[in-house]
Amino acid sequence: MKKIRKGKVIMTVTIGLSCFVLMAVMFMQFKIVRETDITSVENMRKSDLTTELASWKQKFEETETKLNETQQMLNEYRKTEKSSEESKGLLEAELEEVNMKLGKTDVEGEGIIITLKNANSTDVKISAEDLLVIVNSLKLAGAEAISINDQRIINNTDIVYINNVFIRVNQERILEPYVIKAIGNQTYLEGGLVGTGGHIEDLKKLGHDITIEKSNKVTIKKYEKDLNIKYME
Amino acid sequence: MKKEHIAISLGIMCFILTFAISIQIRTVKNSNLTVSQSYEENNLRAEVLKYKERYDNAYNELEKLEKDLEEERKEASTEDTELKNLEEQIKKGNKIIGFTEVKGPGVTLTLSDSKIPTGSALVGDLNDLLVHDMDVLSVINELKNAGAEAISINDQRVIPTSSIVCGGNIITINGERIGVPFVIKAIGLPEQLAALSRPGGYLSILSDYGIVTDLKKEESITIPKYSGVIKFEYAKTINK
Repeated sequence: MKKIRKGKVIMTVTIGLSCFVLMAVMFMQFKIVRETDITSVENMRKSDLTTELASWKQKFEETETKLNETQQMLNEYRKTEKSSEESKGLLEAELEEVNMKLGKTDVEGEGIIITLKNANSTDVKISAEDLLVIVNSLKLAGAEAISINDQRIINNTDIVYINNVFIRVNQERILEPYVIKAIGNQTYLEGGLVGTGGHIEDLKKLGHDITIEKSNKVTIKKYEKDLNIKYME
Repeated sequence: MKKEHIAISLGIMCFILTFAISIQIRTVKNSNLTVSQSYEENNLRAEVLKYKERYDNAYNELEKLEKDLEEERKEASTEDTELKNLEEQIKKGNKIIGFTEVKGPGVTLTLSDSKIPTGSALVGDLNDLLVHDMDVLSVINELKNAGAEAISINDQRVIPTSSIVCGGNIITINGERIGVPFVIKAIGLPEQLAALSRPGGYLSILSDYGIVTDLKKEESITIPKYSGVIKFEYAKTINK
């Protein structure tokens, strides 16, 4: 009788112990899985590695080009006399470049023009969010300049829906039809929007009237307001 | 009677263990973590690291040159107010584009997948508990609407050409892959930026779902500069 009981106790303890160990191991593993950084190079798979390689290569080349340009610019500054006409020219050229990237100059080039009109029948209207998504995919496709109804999209641009009635871009109300212009590679720009999963396709399914026109000379107006900094230094 | 007892408890334990293990196997499978160490992949990995290093070197050098250039610009314009003005405009422009590190008051907030249990009555769709690119895009848009002057996501500066794409649990911004949680910093009037949490706003919806956490006003935050290059191949300035 006593022997049996002893055996049972041992068995229970053993089982309990092994269960405990197993649990501990499992929790450890869960933790490892959770903590593994899947964006690090060590954990990438082949397809990701190929894209990663391409993107680093591109970044390296771009930086190299920029490096040479900066060196050249530096040399030119060093050559010119202080506060002379030439140094004024250099500064002006640099400012021009900065203004272009800011969106403070009128630009032209090949690109696409998208015209969006609300469907007559449905209550579902084209929203600020739709425009936001379209602008985002244009940027992804490498758009160099974008405007909506001649409101230039700059770094500070907001696109908001006021009371679900009208859309404001750069704090200015815009009216239908919405004309989005983008400069960049036409095929890429269009490719990101049409086809399955493209946002234009989704909007068309809702019955909205949307046309995309490719043009070799899209003209995009500059940002008209003053850009001021108040808080950052 | 006693034997039955033991058998049943053993059975239950085994069942739980098997269940947990199969869950685990599925988790591991889903997260693509089985790192195969094939020759080709190792080669690619080495190549990536090599280019990363070359990029880092070039970038460090570029940083030095840019500092020199800034000095030269300053020197070139010391004795002339007109030139001084030009120099200052260049500086300001670069700040707005995102080419220089900036400091100022603002807010930080964190977006991460919700910890609300999936069975909760609040949740209709499991998808609502995950961070999507649309969420990040909308939050950035609202911050801009509230007057943010500079924004970064996990230290990636938002520049005029930044796009945000979602792929699984990774978001790509500026061509850089980042994972959750997303820490967003914005410089601007803290009160106005923090007012994003107003009832009915996008952020308040996201906080109801437990996706937005830690919205904090800060007296001073630093936002890093964009480390890449903006290049125009198609657009040309029209000279009037």
